[in-house]
Amino acid sequence: MSGNHTTTRRKILKGAGAAGIAGLAGCSGGGGDSGSEPIELLHAWSSGDGNAAIGALIKGFQDAHPDVEFAEEPVNGAARGNLDQVVSNRLQANDPPSTFQSWPGKTLEKFGEAYADIEGDVWTDDLKSNYLPGPKRQAQLDGTYVTVPLNIHRINNLFYNVPVLEEAGVDPDSLSSPADVVDACEAVATNTDAVPFAQQTSGAWSTVQLWETVLLAEAGIGGYRSFIEGNGDTEQVRAALENVVALSDYYPGDASSISFTEANTMVMEGDAAFIHQGDWAAGAYSGADEFNYGDDWGQVTYPGTSGSYLLNMDSFPYFADNPSPEATKTFLSYCGSAEGQVLFNREKGSIPPRKDADVSSLNAFQQDQYDDFTSAENQPPSVQHGLAVSPGVSTNIASAFSSFLENYDAEETANELVDAFQ
Amino acid sequence: MLETLKDRYSRTGEESTVRSLLDRESVRSAPFWGPPFLLVALFVYGAVVWNGVLSLTDFTGIGSPDYGTLDFENYVVAFTGGTPTWSDLTVDPIWNSAQNTVVLMIVFAAVCLALGLVLAILVDRGIRFENTFRTIYLLPMSLSFVVTAKFWLYMYNPQTGLINIGIQALGFGPVEFVQNPELKLGAVAFALIWQFSGYAMIVYLAALRGIPSSHFEAARVDGASTVRMYRRVIVPQLRTATVSALVVITVFALKAFDFLFSMYGGYQPGPSADILATRMVREAYANQNWAYGSTIAVVLFVMALFIIAPYIYSQYRRGEL
Repeated sequence: MSGNHTTTRRKILKGAGAAGIAGLAGCSGGGGDSGSEPIELLHAWSSGDGNAAIGALIKGFQDAHPDVEFAEEPVNGAARGNLDQVVSNRLQANDPPSTFQSWPGKTLEKFGEAYADIEGDVWTDDLKSNYLPGPKRQAQLDGTYVTVPLNIHRINNLFYNVPVLEEAGVDPDSLSSPADVVDACEAVATNTDAVPFAQQTSGAWSTVQLWETVLLAEAGIGGYRSFIEGNGDTEQVRAALENVVALSDYYPGDASSISFTEANTMVMEGDAAFIHQGDWAAGAYSGADEFNYGDDWGQVTYPGTSGSYLLNMDSFPYFADNPSPEATKTFLSYCGSAEGQVLFNREKGSIPPRKDADVSSLNAFQQDQYDDFTSAENQPPSVQHGLAVSPGVSTNIASAFSSFLENYDAEETANELVDAFQ
Repeated sequence: MLETLKDRYSRTGEESTVRSLLDRESVRSAPFWGPPFLLVALFVYGAVVWNGVLSLTDFTGIGSPDYGTLDFENYVVAFTGGTPTWSDLTVDPIWNSAQNTVVLMIVFAAVCLALGLVLAILVDRGIRFENTFRTIYLLPMSLSFVVTAKFWLYMYNPQTGLINIGIQALGFGPVEFVQNPELKLGAVAFALIWQFSGYAMIVYLAALRGIPSSHFEAARVDGASTVRMYRRVIVPQLRTATVSALVVITVFALKAFDFLFSMYGGYQPGPSADILATRMVREAYANQNWAYGSTIAVVLFVMALFIIAPYIYSQYRRGEL
């Protein structure tokens, strides 16, 4: 009996050993018969519209370049912060991926030394003449082209529920300043049962992007640029914060316990009149059958910011120590093409950064946004979404706003925001 | 003659010492405890030491740290603030988050233990459905911080949350908890207490079961009331249980990072609820100030040592170490 047992155990051990060795061989064999390494793309679009968008982009790329191998790797956990940590750890270990999903602009300073110049190889004259000045500036780190912006989400939107505003007697097109938004909220509060301004305050990000939009409206493009360059005027910053404080009277009573999705659902269900958000909010609307653009919901440029398209972008940067240099450049060039950008943005709900894109396959709202974008005089970068300020300043600003959400003290926060650059 | 004999004696002595050394149980069992010992030494204590050294450098961004110039600048910055040489931006001192950490730790641990003791005594009274109650009290501990944080976000909702419905039923207005600077930290502590008092109860219950029933009977015979019996006879015997539950619970308080991260959607819970752990991750991963992040980690480590040290010392005094 016991002899039998031993044999079985030995057999199992042998089998396991063989399997282990086979596994190891499989690992080492995966590498490089083809001569060039596959592209390793890290991103956090592991679900929803983002996942559909990156899928469409990669499929389009593989159809156009069947010879280039792809090793796509979504970093699970979805949050962008998580992805940054993975990339950061890999850079510390001298093992960068080919490229990864990153905000362009000042966020690039985070891994600054790790990027390489792709002017000429990827940033050809074609790209340079077809990107507007705003996005083109965001693709550069200290004047060197290191990344390819793929899409643009707009921040200075005001979305509204049409029937609620009709009931309240508010005409959204007549609003011309942030103060008008406050008045409109008052009208909604008096004339309807709906919450005037759907906003979440459990996290600080929605409030930061609301404030930066109001600052752009009140201080103008000049005042906004001075702020992001570190020469902000405390008075202007404080005035914008005071407008946010005034708006906060019209937030939902449970703003601190809800998420953006819940706030946005309030607008969709007619429980709220306005929401200020990036145009990913519209992504949820287009997914709802009974909620149509024009009839049920609408969007205006945030009152006071007309002529500006406040940018939030995603981009794919190029690492100097690239595991697959040629293949990565081929892929980045595809990301810079109108074809690739249309494929990606149709799913993502954002718009292509190139001004020569054929947007007829995008939905009506996206086409309207694209018209706004191509005719915008200014394309300022967003503070909240990492384009306008370096990571250290961005942390300081987020801290200032996490404290603002506790006390709504415009004076104190204005000083903290201006000091965030020191 | 005499010398050679002495030499030979001492030589055999050496040989026998070597042999007896090899024969020792601790040496002979080395193949078994050696590898894990080395792994722990390298990956736990080695990492702690490395982190300490890192905190003396100026390491930021990517690349490798320069171990050539070590100084205590980061500790000065951590306690007094100012602009460090490795940054263009001023850095706030860590007092605020350190204070929140200590307050959270003390309130959470004290209430958790007190509540756990009361529950354990009640359950130990031979009530009906004892197992059911025990399971109900212990269940929250099996949930992850992410789940409990989202759950308490709903509980604290001023309009639909159960807590506020209760408060309104008593005739008071809805209370804002989540972003209220006065109640924020208390709200976090309350949720953690809800989650971990069941654990304290189990530890106390096991200890209560270990006390011979003759102690209860003797106290009764001497005419002690129930309260007096517990206060004078039973609770003093729960010292070991208290210390071991305390250590586990305070370590959970130091790790409340996950809870805050889920509740406030990131590592910016606001100044009233900012703890050292959130501050540390902010410095290290958002700002890439690795050396400064390590400095905060060392402060956190020293705080944990202060909690563990009395426990280890009492174990040592009692000869259990």
